[in-house]
Order: sequence, then structure tokens, then C-alpha cells
Amino acid sequence: MCEHGEFASLILGGMAPSAPVTASLFFTCLADALYPNVALATATVLERFGVTVRVPLSQTCCGQPAYNSGHRKEARKMAAGFLRAFDGDGYIVTPSGSCAVMVKEMYPVLFRNEPRMLDLACSVGERVFELSQFLVDVLGVTDPLSAFKGKVTLHDSCHLVRGLGVREQPRRLLRAIPGVELVEMEDSDRCCGFGGVFSVKNPHISCAMVEKKIERILATGAQYVTSGDLGCLMNIGGAVSRSGYPVQPIHLAEILAGPPPDEET
Amino acid sequence: MEPKCHNFSRNVEQALANRNLQAAISRTTGRFLEHRNAAVRSFPGDFEAAREAASRLKLATLRDLDIHLSRFIEEAERRGATVHIARDAAEARDIATRIAKDEGIALAVKSKSMATEEIGLNEALEGAGIEVVESDLGEYIIQLAGEPPSHLIAPAVHKTREEVARLFSEKLGETYTEEIPELVAIARRRLREKFLSAGMGISGANFLVAETGSVAIVSNEANARMATTLPRVHMVVASIEKVIPLMSDLPPMLRLLTRSATGQPISSYVSVLTGVRRPGDAEGPSKLHILLVDNGRSAILRGKYREMLKCIRCGACLNICPVYQTIGGHAYGWVYPGPMGSVLSPLLLGLREASALPDASTLCGACADVCPVKIPLPDLLLELRADARAQGHRTPGEVLGMKGFAAIMGRAGILEALERIGGVVCRLLFKDGKIPWLPFILSGWTDRRDFPAPAVRPFRKLWKSKRGVLPWNR
Repeated sequence: MCEHGEFASLILGGMAPSAPVTASLFFTCLADALYPNVALATATVLERFGVTVRVPLSQTCCGQPAYNSGHRKEARKMAAGFLRAFDGDGYIVTPSGSCAVMVKEMYPVLFRNEPRMLDLACSVGERVFELSQFLVDVLGVTDPLSAFKGKVTLHDSCHLVRGLGVREQPRRLLRAIPGVELVEMEDSDRCCGFGGVFSVKNPHISCAMVEKKIERILATGAQYVTSGDLGCLMNIGGAVSRSGYPVQPIHLAEILAGPPPDEET
Repeated sequence: MEPKCHNFSRNVEQALANRNLQAAISRTTGRFLEHRNAAVRSFPGDFEAAREAASRLKLATLRDLDIHLSRFIEEAERRGATVHIARDAAEARDIATRIAKDEGIALAVKSKSMATEEIGLNEALEGAGIEVVESDLGEYIIQLAGEPPSHLIAPAVHKTREEVARLFSEKLGETYTEEIPELVAIARRRLREKFLSAGMGISGANFLVAETGSVAIVSNEANARMATTLPRVHMVVASIEKVIPLMSDLPPMLRLLTRSATGQPISSYVSVLTGVRRPGDAEGPSKLHILLVDNGRSAILRGKYREMLKCIRCGACLNICPVYQTIGGHAYGWVYPGPMGSVLSPLLLGLREASALPDASTLCGACADVCPVKIPLPDLLLELRADARAQGHRTPGEVLGMKGFAAIMGRAGILEALERIGGVVCRLLFKDGKIPWLPFILSGWTDRRDFPAPAVRPFRKLWKSKRGVLPWNR
């Protein structure tokens, strides 16, 4: 629905940009309210690679929960708020594949009958990048310079892998961390059963699915399960916390940032 | 069959309580998927390009469906077939029953057909005193069990061999055996008698070729061939979107269908049936009736769900769907399960009956990735969810909740205040940072999962205190 503009050519194919880069942090409502360290870690990693990080504080939620449950009017309201908060220039970086897909792929559907909003949605949408995608494809980062240590398995979130086609970027970054041993689980791109509203509308199916996912995580013997989406980690983490499975969910941004300095914990 | 989509959550409970079911389903869907993936890897040519071409062909055909259907009817009748058109399921049942009665049929053998399931043909014929016997092994099993199919191409996928063994000994009076070759031999012996004495064979169609008026059917058991050639009368029941323009369109569609369904480069049998038996033919029916069923498809064709009519019923979206793998086909409550069923059933039955089905997906997108004709299933599910809200099939609690959510999210200041209050309250209530129960419509989350307590200091607060408010931060 969107025609590609100048930003489509800003993916530099692994070449580090020479000019200073500015990025607005789309920190997501989940990170804001429940996992602020993930948003901080995202900013830390971006600044480590010379990115000037702006944080538009008028942002709230991209509207995905409303959109995914069919409440388009409410979703449009939230989407319009998002577009106001991020209107402008520079990259928009988010620690969530799912929220990135919402803005890039779903906003054009939401505003398909409003040409002016559609234009705005398209121009904002093409500035949006998920963190690992931004680091690897835009900044050309090959070593995240993280001191994180541990045996890690990666859950490919549905929207990151199938929505944005990001499969290799997080793996490349994880493999480049000297202290990280990356172990692959079976069917790493199989849905964990979160699905946003799905997890509360169909909790029994959702739980059966997350248990299957945890089975595969545990089979790797990893200490940590990581992902580029907080929704998945909240779902996996909720089951882990209730049943006491021996694995710790951690967001990719936190691994890339390395162990948190004391004052941030 | 009477739709039970409105009982979705009860259906799911039953399905999840059945351990055998999940084992049987994940075994079979896993095998189908493995074979499908292998077939895609060894595909002669570019599989993605083949999908794209098939999608375009189906879309182009749907655009001029009336023209292609007229051509099909003309060519089929020129070759001796009688074509009937039914607007809805009731009319289809009436026409089919009348045909069977006029032909003086007492016994009909069927090969697998989802269209006949959709219109409830078996019950109608049986109601008119005609014996109907399913001849596909899976269909034969579930007919004995009195159950609907639970998969498009493997209707008895939910049954274990022990269950089949019990069924054969109880319903057929055969000696109990769990040996699959012996079970198959029993079915073959029983069915052979039926094939030889049936006056009518009933089949569906995988494709209707407009150019020649032909009916193309794929099968792996030869039962379709026997059902369509041995009896004196052959009745085809097919929905109108099965038509393709040219015979040369058939091979590219077949290549995708069989690979996507079972991973076979080609099914064991492909029957292309054209017209009635001609003088000098060794076999074939002397009467051929083709019943074209609309049943709501003309309306679908005109609207935003047209792409659903590209579906060729391969079942790949079922096999890959983690929800289908978890609950099986019966939970969906009608004849079409899985992602394709979650779109098609509400379109055919209405959202009043089936509004739970579009919600029964995590929108993980795996179905769209394997669909051989590139139906954007998650997008269509999202459209249906929007229609469900617009048509009033959402609980007042959900609508109110979402309005409230949007109102809070409309103002960052209000959000921050609520986040901080929530953070402090939860810290007092849940000292370990885990919320073990959530109220109202959110309660399902905490049945078997904890919810994280909100942070006392949300990120927006943290950032402001660390960095201050800069001009671009507002």
C-alpha cells in the first residue's frame, strides 16, 4: 500500500554510515510499564554505537491490541497519536518486532480510506526498524561489544521473523558476543502462543502452546531464552515464573547491552 | 452437519482433555509438513514463482468467474453431462436427492468431498432412504464413528489405530486387530462389495476445467476412480470457485496441490473425467450429473474476502498451524477447520455463528507462508475481527475495556500517572513482582501463568529523571 521513499535506500547493507545518526526510541508500552530496563538497554546499545537517541515522551501504545481484536476505531485513535509523536525525520528504533510490524504493515490498512493519514503512516512506517535489524542492516554492527555471559537460546518471534523477515540479524549479534553460547531450539520460529488478545481470549490453547515452546527451550539446556519481542517473553516468562522452570527469559536488548550497571538495577 | 462454532470454547476444552487426539494430530501434521518441506526443497524450478503464478491464475479466474463457469457448463453439457446449479445448501440437497430418486438409486458410494460435507448431503440422501457409503478410508472410518472429518485431506487424523480397531470390531463385527494392513484389508473387502452394487457414485472435484468441461480429482486410494467409473450414474458436487480456464492450467495447480498437501510430487491417482461414456469406451458412467454449489460464494466474490476463494483445499495451513495442532479439527465446530476454516466458516455461516473462529489465531503468519496460492489468511482474519466488532459480536466488557484503553493511551500524562499508581499498588500487593491473578476478562492469563507487576518507575519517568525533558522529547 505504501510506495517506497528515500528511507528504503537507507539500509546500507552492512556499511557503517559516515554521518552521525539520530534515532527516535519507540520504546513500546510493554517496556514502558513492565520492563523499563529493556527500553534503557535499547538506548544504551544505540548510544554505544554513536547514535543520538531521542525519546518522544508523548508516545503511548501503537494500538496493536485494539487493531488485533478488531477495534479499528480505537486503533486508529492510538495510531494517530503515534504518528503525531513520531512525525519528523530520522530513524525510529524499537525493541519489538511486533510493534514495528504494526506501524509498518497495519497502519496503512487502518488508514486505507484516509489519503493524508495514509501518506503520513507510510512515511513514518519506513523509518521504523527493529533493534537488531537496525544494528546490523543500518549501522553495520558486527560486534555488539557486550560483556554478557551465558548459554542462550533464541525464540524467533512471529512478527520479527515472518513479518519483518529478520532471522539472521539477532543470531549474528549473539554469536559475536564472546561470553554467549548460542544454542538453537527445535522449531525456534514456532509461535509461543502469546498472540496478544489471543492469550486472554483463548488462554487454554495459549497455555498449551507455551508449554510446548518451553519444552523445546528446556531441551537446549540454555540458562536464558531471548527474543526480540516482549510479548513472547512475558508469555514464556509468565509460565516459567508460575511453574518454576530452570530458564530465564531476557530480552535481546538486555543481552546486547551487557550486564546492567549497578545503579540501573 | 449442524454448525457448533458458537460452542468454540467448550469444543476446545473437550479437545484439550483428549491426550490421544493431540498425539495423533501432531504425529500426522508433523509428517505432512516434513514431506511438504522436502517437496518444496526438491521442487523442479522456483517454488515461490509457482505460488505467485498460481495465485495470479486463481485471481484472474475469479475476476471473470461467470465467463469461465458458462464455458464449463457449455463444454460439459456438450459432452453429455447434465449441469445443475444450487444457490444454497438446501437447494443443493434438494437437487441431489431428486437426481438420486429420479435415477432410482438405492445405494451410492462416495469419494471424499468437502462440498458434500458443507451442504450435508449424506444426511439428506439417507433421509430419502438412500444408503450412502464413504469409500475414502478415512471417511469410511469417521462415517462408522458417526463423526465429521477433522482435516481437509486426512479426515480421520484424530483417530488412533486402536480406536479404528475397536470401531471395526464393534460396528462391522470383524475380529479385533490393530494391524494396519489387516484393517485396510477389512475396509477394502467391505467397500469392494459396495462399489460393485452401487447405482451411483458421488465425488467432489479438485478442479473443473472450463475448456473441456472436465472434472479433475486427485486421490491416493483409487477409490475416487472406482466411485466415478463403476456405477451407472456419477454425480459431481463442486463449489463454483473450483473452475480453472484451461487444461494447461491444470498441471501447475496439481504440482502445488499435491506437494502442499502431502509432499507428493503427484498423487497416486489423478482422474480427469470428461463427459459420459462414449460408444466403445471400456468403462465410465452412462449418466453424469454435475451439481455446482454457490452457497454464499457469489457474495464473497463481490467483497473484500475474494482471495479466500483461491483456496484449493490442500490442508497445508492446518498442518502448520500451532492452534490446529493443539486442538484438532472438530473444535472448530464445522466442516472447515484450521486457518482456512477460520476465514471460510464465518463467511459461509455468518459471524453470529462463527465469530469465535477468527479469534482462534495468534496471527503468527505461518499459514500465509505455506499457502500455495498465497491467501493472506492473517489479514483476512483481522478483517473478520473488525467485522465482528462492527456487527456487534463483541462483549460489552471488551468494547468498554478497549475504549478505556484507547482513552488512557490518548494522553501520555494520564498513562504515566496510572503507571506510577499501578506500580506502587502492585508493589505493596505483590512483593515478589508476580501477579498471580488478574480480574474479569483478563483472568484467563493467570490460570497457568503469572503476570509481571508494573514497574514503580516506568521508562518514561526513568528517562526524564536521567536526561531531563528536551525539546524533542515532548
